[in-house]
Formats: sequence, C-alpha cells, structure tokens
Amino acid sequence: MEATPSPTLYDLIGIEHSKLGYFEELRQKIEELKGSNTESENRRREIGAILDGITDVMMVLDEDLKIISVNHVFHDLFGKGNPIGQYCYSYFRQSDEPCEECPAFRSLKENVVSKETAIFRIAGRNMQFEMVASPLKNPQWPKHRVLIFKRDVTMEKEYQAKYYQAEKMATIGVLATGVAHEVNNPLAAISGYAEGIQRRLATIETHVPESLAEDFRDYTETIIKECRRCRDIVRTLLHFGHPVSSQFCVVDVNNMVRETLKILHYHLKRKTGIIVDTQLYYGLPHIEGDEPQLKQVLLNLLTNAVDAMDAHKQKGVISVRTSPLGLDKVLIEVEDTGCGIPSANRDKLFDPFFTTKPVGKGIGIGLSTCYNIVKEHQGDISVDSEIGRGSRFIVTLPLKPERNHG
Amino acid sequence: MLITKFAIPDIIFGHGSIKYLAQCARRLGAQRILLVSDNGLESSGWVDQVRQILEDDRLDCVYFNDVSSNPRDHQVHKGAKLYLQEKLDVIVALGGGSPMDAAKGIATIAGNGGKISDYEGANRIMRPLPPMIFIPSTAGSGSDISQYCIITDVERQVKMSIISRSLVPNISITDPDLLLTKSRSLITASAIDAFAHAVESYLSPLASPFTESQALLAMRLFIKNILPAVRDRDQAALEELSTASAAAGMSFSNAGLGTLHALAHSLGGMYDVLHGMVHPVLLPAVMRYNLAANPKKLGDIGRIVIGPRVCADERAALAGIDRLEELFAEMDTPLRLRDLLPDRTPLEKICSMATRDACQLTNPRSAYCDDLMGICEEVW
Repeated sequence: MEATPSPTLYDLIGIEHSKLGYFEELRQKIEELKGSNTESENRRREIGAILDGITDVMMVLDEDLKIISVNHVFHDLFGKGNPIGQYCYSYFRQSDEPCEECPAFRSLKENVVSKETAIFRIAGRNMQFEMVASPLKNPQWPKHRVLIFKRDVTMEKEYQAKYYQAEKMATIGVLATGVAHEVNNPLAAISGYAEGIQRRLATIETHVPESLAEDFRDYTETIIKECRRCRDIVRTLLHFGHPVSSQFCVVDVNNMVRETLKILHYHLKRKTGIIVDTQLYYGLPHIEGDEPQLKQVLLNLLTNAVDAMDAHKQKGVISVRTSPLGLDKVLIEVEDTGCGIPSANRDKLFDPFFTTKPVGKGIGIGLSTCYNIVKEHQGDISVDSEIGRGSRFIVTLPLKPERNHG
Repeated sequence: MLITKFAIPDIIFGHGSIKYLAQCARRLGAQRILLVSDNGLESSGWVDQVRQILEDDRLDCVYFNDVSSNPRDHQVHKGAKLYLQEKLDVIVALGGGSPMDAAKGIATIAGNGGKISDYEGANRIMRPLPPMIFIPSTAGSGSDISQYCIITDVERQVKMSIISRSLVPNISITDPDLLLTKSRSLITASAIDAFAHAVESYLSPLASPFTESQALLAMRLFIKNILPAVRDRDQAALEELSTASAAAGMSFSNAGLGTLHALAHSLGGMYDVLHGMVHPVLLPAVMRYNLAANPKKLGDIGRIVIGPRVCADERAALAGIDRLEELFAEMDTPLRLRDLLPDRTPLEKICSMATRDACQLTNPRSAYCDDLMGICEEVW
C-alpha cells in the first residue's frame, strides 16, 4: 500500500525545493515551445523535401477549383505567371466554366480518389495528363479542398500507340507471309500448267485453225505473265511482312519506291481518276536503311495522298520523285493535287493521335510513326501545302546514317 | 550546525485587509477565479462579501463549496476538474484549514494532473501550481502560511500529508474581522491548534532561531488572549490570536511538527473528529513524553504558561503542562480520548499508522507504536 518512500528531515527542509513560480513555468513553456517548433520545422522541411521529390504536377484547389498552391514542377512545366488565385479551368483552358471531365468534383462529392486522363496544349504541344484528384477535408477550413496530381503520360501513350501499331504490323506480316506461301503453290501450278499447255500447243498447232492456236498462245502467255506478276507481289509481301528485320542494309531507293507502288497497285487502279506520275532519278545512289520501315513511310505518305484526293475531287495526280541532294543525301517527294492541309493543322501533323480522318478511319499514328522512322534514319520529313492545291511531303535521307546504338 | 530554510508567503494582515483581495488577484494574473469555501462561511455572509469584492473589480468567479471538515480526495478531484473545465486561473480559498487544504489539493491536481495520493509525502510536486490567495477565517490551521496540505484518502482511511514548498500560497490575507463571526467552540479548537503548532515546532530538531522566535511569540499570545477571546469574544484578543496563528504557521511550516500531529492525523483519518479537539486531549501527554528529550525547551514553554519562575526546567515544564490541562478544562474541551472514540479497539491501528506520519519525523523523542499506545492509554 505505502509505495511512497518515507520523507526525511532533509525533505522537510527542502533546501533545493522552492515554490515553482510562473517565471519558471514560462521558461519551461518557452523551452517546450522551442523544442516543438524545431521539431515541426524539421518535419515541415522533411515533408517539403518529399514534396519537391515528386515529379508530378501537384496543385491544391478549393472546391470552386480556385488554385490555392502548386509545387515547383508546376512552374517548371507551365512556366510564367502566378497561377495562385486563378480558376483552374481559366488557367488551363481559358474557359469560363469547369471542364466536364474534371475528376475534382467526383472526388469531393464521393470522398474518394478519382482518376481521369485529359489532353492539354502546352507550349504548342499536345500533352496527355493522367489526373488524380484526392479530397482534402478539414473542418477548420471554410471550404473543402482537393489535391490534384497531373502526370505527363504523353510518352507512355505514344509508346502504347506505337506498340499497338507494331503489334498490328507484326500480325499482318505473319498473315501476309502465310497467305503468300499459300498463294505461291497454286501460282506455281497455274504457271506450270500454262507452260505445259504452251508446250503441247506445238503438237496440236497443225490440227487447229491458226486463229484458235494464236488465242491459246496469247492466253497462256498472259496467264504466265500475270502469274509472274503475282509471284513478284507475293515476294514483296514476304519481304515487307518480315517481322524483325530492323537491320540497316543497303537500300535501292528507286526499287523500294517501285515495290511500294506495286503493293498499292490494286488500290490505285480502283481510283480511276488518279494518275500516278513516277519520276525516279536514274543512277540514284543507294542508301543504308531499314527497307521495310522506309516502305511503311512511303506507304503512309501515298495512302494519305490518295485520301487527300478522295476528300477533294477524287481525281488528280500523285507524283513520286526521287533525287540526290548534295553528295550525301537523297530526296523522296510525294506530291498530290488534293485538298491541302489547313495551316492550323500543319504544326500538329506529326504529333501522335492527331488526325483529321473521321472516327474509325485512322488513329492518328501514321505520320508520327513516319516522323519517328525518318528521325531514326537521321533524316527529315517536312510538308508544303496549300489549301485546295495540294500537299508535298519531302523526306530527306542521308546515304550513311551514323548509328550510335546497337 | 544544521542548514535550515525559512520560507513564508506574502502576508497581508489587519482590519479590512480583505479589500486588497481583488488587487492581489489581478497582480497574480487573475481573470477567472476559483473561490473555495464552505457552508459555514456562506451563512456568515463572508462568501457573498468576497464575491462582491471580485465582482466590483470585474473578475469572474466560479464558486466551489463541496468541502467537508477534513477534506476528502474526491472533493479535491472534483474541484480540480471544475478549475480546468472552467479555464480558471487563480485560486482563492476562504475559511479554515479545510477549504484551504482543499484548495491546495485542487491547485496540485490542476497544475500537475493525476490523483492527489500521487503527491503524498515530501517534495513530489514537480510542476508549478496556479497562484493561490488564502484568507483564513479561523486563527489556527496555519495552512495559509505553511507548506503542508492534509487530505483524507477515503479508501485507505488515512490523512495524507503532502509537503512541498509549492504548496505555500502566494499571498495570505488575514483580516481579524472574519474571526468575529466564529462560534465559541471553533475559536477554541483553532486557537489550541495554533498553540499545538507552536509547541511542537518549538521542540522540533529542525527549529531555528527564526522559527523559535515565532513559536514563542505564538505561545505568549495564546496564553494572554485565549480566555478573553473565548469567554468575552474580546476583539483585541481575537486579533492577537490571529497573529499567534500566523506566527505558529511560520514556525511549523519551516520546522515541522511532532507526535501530537502524527496521532491527530491518524485519528482524524479514521474518525471524522474536529482536528482542534484532539489536541487538548493529547497535548499534555505528548509534552510529558517529550520532556526527557528537551527539558530546557519544555521549561521555556512552562514559564510562558505559568509565568516567570525561578526553578529547574523540568519543574517549570511539568507545572506548565498541569496548568494547560486546567486551562483546557476551563474551556470545556474534551479531555479524555474516550470522549472522541467509541472504544479502545482502533487504538493500535491509529498508533501504528501515526508512526508512519511525516510529522513523526520531527518529534524530539523517537516514538514507536508502543510508546504511542502508552500515551493513548494515559489519556483514555
């Protein structure tokens, strides 16, 4: 029961014990406050360092979407001007009312973290952002707040689209290879039998009227010729569809143009109003490059040219020209007399996802892929265009790209 | 030589000095005051008067009166809760030893938290207490001066002694006008308590010239004034008894008490007897017991009681003790222990508990349980 030590005489005198006064208390309080101030300052610094380490754009908005605070990434990315106190939607979109897709409202209403992706145009570039909104509620604040993270996912989306495209191409390649093999055998048979008929024709020539024999000769000749053409197309397909041939080899640009046109031959033949004018520079030097990829660039440019005509009058001329440029470059031009490109669209042309085609006709990856391929060859791609008169895409490729990798 | 210490609060003394209460409170930073008092002071009108003084100075005041004679631990806890809940700052106690000790307990818990039993013993209070202003209404307890606080632990039936320099109030305001409204028995009990404080602290091994002179002053004033005060309610006598109480307080707060108070605390913890009424029964017996330890000092006391006399210390001492017994008898106080207790059975427990009381430390002659039993048997 008696846990307390019994006092002694010295305890009663209590020399070292004085009435604890308010000054003493004040001093202790000040010490305590100093301590807790240092502690909270350290914690603040630590949290500040953690926040500075976040590479996403971060901002705190009030429930009316007025910007309360932003982190340094915000300033790095959006640069000039003080965003504090501005409405989010007027700062980013110059709009008078909140964007429909804004996740902030849902987050505040349902008290959950919500996500959304949106495209913002920043410094002339379309950028995709993944936005995460987290509600911040504190009974001491006059209004609720919401914390928004914006992560730049443009690259991811670009890579994702490229990946889909590559996968699609690979699938087509496999399919094409399969089909080509399948077609090759009947072609060999047809062509073989046609040759057989020609051989037999000599023995029966004397027994049939001359005109009939002539017809047979003519028909079998056509069959054999067409079979040979089929075989060439199949070979091109086999070559084109070869999935992982990203090796740089010597490429005959003129030949590459011819083969690409051959692939498109059927497609072009149906557009009766379109004339293809090919001006290939004789003796064009060979370049080093990835032929299938360069073919894809040409194919894209040609398809676009056809589409531009479609949109226009469904007739016109597509000119494909090759020429040397200086001593170490070649030039490939694809020109059409189609609808032309509005100047507003011209600088977005090579951005991923940008498309003027109706939904379902294109995903807007074509020209950006071309751009990447050409860049990989250390070449350049540009466009001249005039509304109603047509467009000219110019691809320059060095003869010997210096490949740093691999 | 023993190193001693002498510490007392600011003491404001004199007729009408109560009017300085508000000013004193303001100086201690008061805005909302806890006023601790009891029913007796309410019926005499002093509580209203004090509230009026505070109100006139626009000081808020929360009143707490759940205080019994021999204040209990739960009353202290309740008061501390009120103090904290109401965000009060200064504690004013008005009354006898009970409201003042209760106020000390409340201040202890308000400043340090926990239970009052956590602070039992000496120097266990580690954080400052709210400022305290005490206005004693009885000339006796000395609580307005002392570093002692006595609270009853209800469960253990023990009067706990809490000793700390922090329990010395900031200001003591003694206004003898308050004594005029006291009952005769209360005047007697508190005056005898003050006298007992003076006697015990005078004999204490911790006594120093500073405490001894106060103790002697208190004893002289008691002997001179006790009868006129009790019989005739003589105003000058009552005022001098106030001085005696304050002087005795200064002495015992710094020098400590002795066996008498150890027994009184132990007895008071088990039986709710008026503290001052234990002394007339036990004081003479305790003085006789202590005579062997310090005949010189007991002789001094004897000469104060019976007047100057040329004889041996021991003779003077014994004559003085005899005279005291007569004096107590004249005042109709209880004289035998059987007047206070139902039977002898609790005696052993009372005595064994008293040996552990802090007051026992400063008794001039060491006393074990058997010795205490002997004293009790002597006065049964």
